[in-house]
Amino acid sequence: MKKTLLIIVALLVVLGIYSWSSYNSLVAQQESVTAQWQQVETQYQRRFDLIPNLVASVKGVLTQEQTVFGDIADARTRYSGAQTVNEKVAATAQVESALSRLLVIVENYPTLKSSETVRDLMTQLEGSENRIAVERGRFNDGVRNFNTTIKKFPKNMFAAVFGFDEVKYFEAEIGAESAPKVELI
Amino acid sequence: MMKKISLITLVALLPLVTFAYVSPGKPTGLVNDFARVLTAEESQTIGAKLTALDQQTGVEVAVVTVSTVGTDETIESYAEKLFQEWGIGDAEKDTGLLLLIAVDDRQMRIETGYGIEGAVTDIQSGNIIRNVLTPAFREGKYGEGISAATDALTAIITNSPEAAQYSDTSSSQDSSGWDFDFASIFFVVIIVINMLSRFLGATKSWWLGGVLGAGIGAIIGLIAGFLYVGAISMIVLTILGLIFDFIVSKNPPGSNGKSGGMWPLLFGGGSSGSGGFGGFGGGSSGGGGASGRW
Repeated sequence: MKKTLLIIVALLVVLGIYSWSSYNSLVAQQESVTAQWQQVETQYQRRFDLIPNLVASVKGVLTQEQTVFGDIADARTRYSGAQTVNEKVAATAQVESALSRLLVIVENYPTLKSSETVRDLMTQLEGSENRIAVERGRFNDGVRNFNTTIKKFPKNMFAAVFGFDEVKYFEAEIGAESAPKVELI
Repeated sequence: MMKKISLITLVALLPLVTFAYVSPGKPTGLVNDFARVLTAEESQTIGAKLTALDQQTGVEVAVVTVSTVGTDETIESYAEKLFQEWGIGDAEKDTGLLLLIAVDDRQMRIETGYGIEGAVTDIQSGNIIRNVLTPAFREGKYGEGISAATDALTAIITNSPEAAQYSDTSSSQDSSGWDFDFASIFFVVIIVINMLSRFLGATKSWWLGGVLGAGIGAIIGLIAGFLYVGAISMIVLTILGLIFDFIVSKNPPGSNGKSGGMWPLLFGGGSSGSGGFGGFGGGSSGGGGASGRW
């Protein structure tokens, strides 16, 4: 009788320690996914901050192409008004398509292409696109790790009890899989 | 028959599918000429410059030449993965920089660590690639181009407002801080082992060390927050504790003429000297920098 009680207590202790450590590791993983999403947003912001400079430096020459500037301004407004991640992703996709159109236009104007200001802005934009790609990739890696953890036995039971939900991957919208191409060199 | 063939193809394809990025190997220093485009003299000169820059500012600049980045990677993704794999730059400050040259692809990239993005901007990286590296590489003068790029990077890094910040916290203090930590930890460990050997040796029992080991293992597991870590450290430390207790109980320190019976055990193994390059600091990058082709 005493022995049974001892075994039950021992099992409860082990279970308690296990759920404690499971919970803590799940919290840590979830936080790192959130932090990684912040990194993605930081890079989006960086790109948005660059766009006005680019627009300002090419607008004077590109008097024929006003629609693309309107589209970019519109997408920026949508991004700053976006509340959810999905809205942000949608607005980003819109920015990307407008931006790639602008870059194609710039390509066709030799005076712009050879301008040092425009070239430097392009370099920055290129850097921005690459940073976004890197941070997005790491976000998805983090999401995959987290989702794998909460789906695998036996942690899936704890995840369900503690209310950890699957995190959605970042998926580029159709038509926006490729970042705006910058080829000026 | 079919099964056999498909299995062979599967095995053959497996590395290609799962590891699109193929590491060029372990770093052998700040200059890693995997594509063999530099003479021994050139890599030595460039390496000396980079070492001086590292000592002065704490910024680790790695020069890597490979023949190709492969078909599944772009120069950007390859540079980022290599940067992460090697951990170029200080782990805390991320002050690393990678100059990657894919000779057969005729592509190059300067990838900046997070902590150095402000000092070496994308525009500056782009200018070095356009104005320094591209003209030299077009003439096949790899050594000259890389050497000139090293000078340009040194000038940018040492003259940037952030340079002072790197030097006073990163390289010099970092290493001394680590030495201090290591020394004090080592000291504490010695004292604890000495105390334990006296205590466990005095009890004459051989099982108490195992119990202590199991307890310490459980605490480690709780701190680490992983059950596996806890379980493994419990098992390992229990065994270690048992062996330890067994040894000190056989020859209790201070009882058989020798004081501190554990000392020969501790130093008996001797430490192996670390020859050559000690590796990078563990920094990471976030895709900053610039690329170009020639």
